[in-house]
Amino acid sequence: MIEPGSIDALTDLLLIFIVSISSPASQPTTEAKPAAALSRAAFWRIFSSTFITIFLAELGDKTQVTTLLMSAQSQAPLVVFLGAGTALVTTSLIGVLLGQWLARRVSPATLDTAAGAMLLGITVWLLWDIAHL
Amino acid sequence: MDWNLLALSFTAVFISELGDKSQLAAIALGGSSSSPRAVFLGTAAALLLASLLGVIIGEGSAQILPERLVKAVAAIGFALLAVRLLWPEKNAD
Repeated sequence: MIEPGSIDALTDLLLIFIVSISSPASQPTTEAKPAAALSRAAFWRIFSSTFITIFLAELGDKTQVTTLLMSAQSQAPLVVFLGAGTALVTTSLIGVLLGQWLARRVSPATLDTAAGAMLLGITVWLLWDIAHL
Repeated sequence: MDWNLLALSFTAVFISELGDKSQLAAIALGGSSSSPRAVFLGTAAALLLASLLGVIIGEGSAQILPERLVKAVAAIGFALLAVRLLWPEKNAD
């Protein structure tokens, strides 16, 4: 059952999301960028677009299912959350570090193309999930 | 503190997340973004909130959230991020 309130919240989220994502803040690496002089606004735009996209993609996904099952079976949901949370922070840190490592080894143009292709791949993956729900 | 349960939940989630969508996104965005720190913090915060909701709402979450719609919005988001990387605006500030 879908409650009207959740749709409203979702619409708000979608609006914030589109605003944050459509502004050209995260410059592609092909442009010269002073790494140290990243503005606070740019930081929050990158943070929010990353946060919202990944949050939505991850909702109801298998990690959440695992966490849910374990917390239902155990009497200590806090411990399950601590374990799951540490794992999630670790995998995202590994991901970002791996991206940085790759960024030092390939040209910025190649990197942007590869990263764009990966994001398109994730888009297709999500559509596949939707089709098979 | 139940260390066995802690280790079990860490391992289960760690393995199921390796090579999953969000880690691939972290690789792609972390390598190409001007602020990898923002990407890491955004990714970690999103994953923590999603699993916290999983623990709190439990079985009810499937009924509250229209999962297809949420995933469709996420798909649009990733497509936009991809398009912005593949075809950057020439006069972006």
